[in-house]
Amino acid sequence: MKKLFAILLLLPLLAAAEPATVIRATELKKAPATDVATVAELAENSGVDVLERKGGWTRVKTSAGAEGWVKMLSLRYGSPGAAKQGDTGLSQLFNVAKTGTSGTQVTTGVRGLDAEMITNAQPNPAELKKMDGFAATKETSSSFAQRAKLKATSVEYPAP
Amino acid sequence: MKSLLVVLVFVAVPAYAQFNFSIDRVLESVKNVAKATKDIDQPEEISIGRDMASRLLGAAQLVNDPRLQRYVNNVGRWLASQTERSDLPWQFGVMDAPQLNAFAVPGGTIFVTRGLVAHMKNEAELAGVLAHEIAHVLQKHHLKAIQKGAKTSLAGDALSLALKDGHSEARDKLISFGTEMYARGLDKSDELEADRLGVVIAARGGYDAYGLPSVLQTLQAMNAQDSTVALMFKTHPPVGERLSVLGDRMQPMLDAYSNQLQLLERFNAEARAAR
Repeated sequence: MKKLFAILLLLPLLAAAEPATVIRATELKKAPATDVATVAELAENSGVDVLERKGGWTRVKTSAGAEGWVKMLSLRYGSPGAAKQGDTGLSQLFNVAKTGTSGTQVTTGVRGLDAEMITNAQPNPAELKKMDGFAATKETSSSFAQRAKLKATSVEYPAP
Repeated sequence: MKSLLVVLVFVAVPAYAQFNFSIDRVLESVKNVAKATKDIDQPEEISIGRDMASRLLGAAQLVNDPRLQRYVNNVGRWLASQTERSDLPWQFGVMDAPQLNAFAVPGGTIFVTRGLVAHMKNEAELAGVLAHEIAHVLQKHHLKAIQKGAKTSLAGDALSLALKDGHSEARDKLISFGTEMYARGLDKSDELEADRLGVVIAARGGYDAYGLPSVLQTLQAMNAQDSTVALMFKTHPPVGERLSVLGDRMQPMLDAYSNQLQLLERFNAEARAAR
């Protein structure tokens, strides 16, 4: 039953392989590691389909049909041409600007948590009290972590 | 000491208007106002945060599923315990809204929407988002923005009153201003800092450090015209820029902790109500 559920969850992923663009020239690797064979060289701005992600790696299929792994952060989601090469989000910003003027009211009509709702919100102390009841303590969350074998490890913050 | 400051503020400002005191005295009073607004202490931070959280819950209630709520509280509390403000009264809530968003409220209250949880693939992704929000609280990003705004919209003495008297008109103004901030957004540098600290906090908790970047890529693949992401995109730097900054600044750290746990199965079991 659980397996069936897992398969059902995967179905939408399989049905629609996500198109993505290689943002810098990169090697298509046979496995998710740097020290393995290179399947192909991918040129900057070439289009691929995303199949799965694993840690810092993404398995992709090229338009030529080659399959392999690239560093996750070498990819930008969307087809080539959907945004200009080297784009740091300007086109997205533009899209959002367009959405901002007309989108929130006219698109799908989804309400719930838009700017207007937040600005006009009235206090809901009953719901806040309910939330208090779900809080975890340091101790309960620590045993929750242990149950999944999560181990705390020391990692430094980056320099500001 | 603090009440003395408040008195000074009350006395100095009208006194100047009436008697044209020396410029030194004026500067002194300005300094006192600045000081009074700088010193929001931790109990005050927590108290303002609760009022703001109550407002946000007025905009969207919690998903009615105790299992989901307790799960998110456990993940979040475990992460918060790995930080320098581990003793705040941290609490976490999943809001029942189809929009994709998350909010950090001063004092340690974090919200994430059902819509965002529904787009996550595993517990490491949830941890990445919660850790980003925890970082906002650690760095007091919203609190500082509120203080900055309060200086222009409330006089120094009114802020003191707002902090002291939970039922004052000044308090209501302060909380309204603070809540509206979630519709306006923080400075870009605050968001990028929360990304960098967030991946570290998730890694400290034992999670695959790529959880947050994965969620950002999911968002990147979504249509910016979609009304469920409109507010989140409006109030954050472009996703492409957030990802490239993470890549530039954090790639070695991300790779060093990319083999930690993702916990797909536990996430699928515990967060089912969000889908």
